[in-house]
Amino acid sequence: MRFLLLLLLLLASSLSHAADPELLEPEKAFRLAARLTAADAIEVRYIIAPGYYMYRDKFRFVLEPAGAKLAEPQLPRGRMKRDPYFGDVETYRDEVTIRVPIESAGGAVASVHLMATSQGCADVGVCYLPQEQKVELRLAALGGAFVDAAPGIIGAAPGVQPGAAVGTTPGEDGAIAALFRGGFWWLIASFFGFGLLLAFTPCVLPMIPILSGIIVGHGQHVTRTHGLLLSGVYVFGMALTYALAGVAAGLSGAMLAATLQSPWVLGGFAALFVALALSMFGLYELQLPVALQSRLAAATNRLPGGRFAGVFSMGILSALIVGPCVAAPLAGALLYMSQSRDVVLGGSALFAMALGMGVPLLAVGASAGALLPKAGPWMETVKRFFGFMLLAVAIYTVSPFVPVVVQMLAWAVLLMVSATYLRALDPLPAHARGFERFSKAIGVIALVTGAGFLLGALSGGRDVLQPLSGLRVGQAPSGTAAVVFQRVNNDGELERAIKSAAGKPVMLDFYADWCVSCKEMERFTFPEPRVQASLQQMVTLKADVTANTAEHAALLRRFQLFGPPGILFFDREGREIRGLRVIGFQSAAKFADVLEQALAAR
Amino acid sequence: MKRARRMMLAAGVAVAAGAAGYAVNAWWRAGSQAEVGAAILAAQLTDLQGKSLAIEHWRGRVLVVNFWATWCAPCREEIPMFVRLQERHGARGLQFIGVAIDQREKVEAFAREFRMNYPVLLGGMEAVELSRRAGNRLGALPFTVIIGRAGHIAGVQLGIVKEAKLEGMIQALF
Repeated sequence: MRFLLLLLLLLASSLSHAADPELLEPEKAFRLAARLTAADAIEVRYIIAPGYYMYRDKFRFVLEPAGAKLAEPQLPRGRMKRDPYFGDVETYRDEVTIRVPIESAGGAVASVHLMATSQGCADVGVCYLPQEQKVELRLAALGGAFVDAAPGIIGAAPGVQPGAAVGTTPGEDGAIAALFRGGFWWLIASFFGFGLLLAFTPCVLPMIPILSGIIVGHGQHVTRTHGLLLSGVYVFGMALTYALAGVAAGLSGAMLAATLQSPWVLGGFAALFVALALSMFGLYELQLPVALQSRLAAATNRLPGGRFAGVFSMGILSALIVGPCVAAPLAGALLYMSQSRDVVLGGSALFAMALGMGVPLLAVGASAGALLPKAGPWMETVKRFFGFMLLAVAIYTVSPFVPVVVQMLAWAVLLMVSATYLRALDPLPAHARGFERFSKAIGVIALVTGAGFLLGALSGGRDVLQPLSGLRVGQAPSGTAAVVFQRVNNDGELERAIKSAAGKPVMLDFYADWCVSCKEMERFTFPEPRVQASLQQMVTLKADVTANTAEHAALLRRFQLFGPPGILFFDREGREIRGLRVIGFQSAAKFADVLEQALAAR
Repeated sequence: MKRARRMMLAAGVAVAAGAAGYAVNAWWRAGSQAEVGAAILAAQLTDLQGKSLAIEHWRGRVLVVNFWATWCAPCREEIPMFVRLQERHGARGLQFIGVAIDQREKVEAFAREFRMNYPVLLGGMEAVELSRRAGNRLGALPFTVIIGRAGHIAGVQLGIVKEAKLEGMIQALF
């Protein structure tokens, strides 16, 4: 579900504040998830990014509504860290799981909110403010899946309600009611949709009328209602098998919970997704061994059609005969469900998918074939769509540990390639049908979004949700072929550079990474075309004095400068043009005038 | 022909996306450094005696405004160096000002123990917000802002600052 949400967010990505490229956002550095383990305890887990740590004595947990009460949290032992001021302090790295017993849930409520306060630091020498994160927990959802803290509720402005997916155990009171909230039904609906789409792939759709004949039983005369019922029973049998597979996937994920977070495991998953996607593009065919398939088919054929018990068994068996169009998406779905580590969710989702796949069969059963769309090349598009979905899941899977640039580039490539397949770049025929226009529109959206990612990544944006943020703050401007500055570190290097300028005027820019106006000059003044044109005719030198070494100090002293900002010019003979010094920020128009004077100086 | 049109379309999309990004940037920048500098100077904070006070009080000196907290180990680490620099350059017009995102008792105890020779003010979330506007997008500590005599921001630093670097940052402002 989250990846669908992410996809939506990507499409709707807005241009708000950019992230500091070297440091993770606090909610990414310390990822919170919580779940109810038994009737009387909450399990809180933080996944801590490498290079970050959390303080054991800084955790605070509070339940809302106010009537609810928590007992003392059971914090595991941390690592001792020697602190010169506080003495030994205990810290956590990588991951910490904290059990918080509930003293009272505060009356009969369906859900409670856990307010988790924590505080941590990065090894680079930066501490985050105490973070307040809020997670909604459904009391009916005992033993359910972990609920991640919703993004964007960190810090000073809590109160946003996360709509996170939640799993439930059947049989609990209120479980059904709980299902109707949050992401659960979204996921189920998506899987139903995927199932329906799968039925329109080239190796499924043409088989449906034949299958329908077998189910109803050859040479028998049945009413439409009877046919529909028989088809329904068949689909139900098939769906049960799928659901079992989904449960197994959820179980295996639940058992592997800890290992699932390792980059190697996730990387392996992603590789599998890519491999499965390639099969959807027709690079190879993935299916059960033909011998096995035909044996299953023979067993199916021996079952009598037309009778409910027989058709039901047929359905169960048929689910095992996985054809080349279905194998890859099915494997992908199972892999995805195993990552959710949720048995109920896995079973329900796969069940829904099978029901979706069964819909056309029901339609055939009810309408005797009239309702079925004609087979055609359009089915290849459906198949390819699954290929792109699998690739998207692959990118999503590795996103926790892959550099943001790589992620952005991957999204850009995926979106732009799929846009091309959606014919975003092909002209529409004059009398295009509605579907064609719609498909092109989707393609154009994908293309623009992909272009946004590409531009964002290339211009230094390092935030998947705000790809173009790099265009706004502090980074070098994209596009124009900027003048390259030659670095000088000391007097000697400066002398040599001026000597080798060969009759060109020289500009020397004193710079430091903390210097705000130096950065403003770089970003807003230097890229202007008029400025660039003049700079091209000069030798441009830059002295980065951030480290403030003795050599730097000597260089500054030589020009009676105390530090950056400071831009100096030398005439064609290598003498400084004293009247032209620029100290502090200057607009492009003014600076271009200064450059002209420098070029004109004899 | 067909190909040329495709290329044009792709180029158009790219240019449009870039232009949009640039426009948003220009708009965002309108709240510029001078404005942020003024906001930091004007912000009402509380001193350790509970008196309301703004950094404006020290305008005209070279200001090093350090956002910190006692619970932040890297923040504590650099304070002895600040004390040393205040000692060394105070006479030339350098003024350190600590803005602690912390509880008063803890700050008081710490200031006593480390013989902090410069004023410490207490700030809450609004102080963090100020630092965000000055470029501290993650709201992390320590964060240091250098403000020149005229009230403009000359430099900012997230995380521990090296002594030599800090000296370089303030040198030009005296």
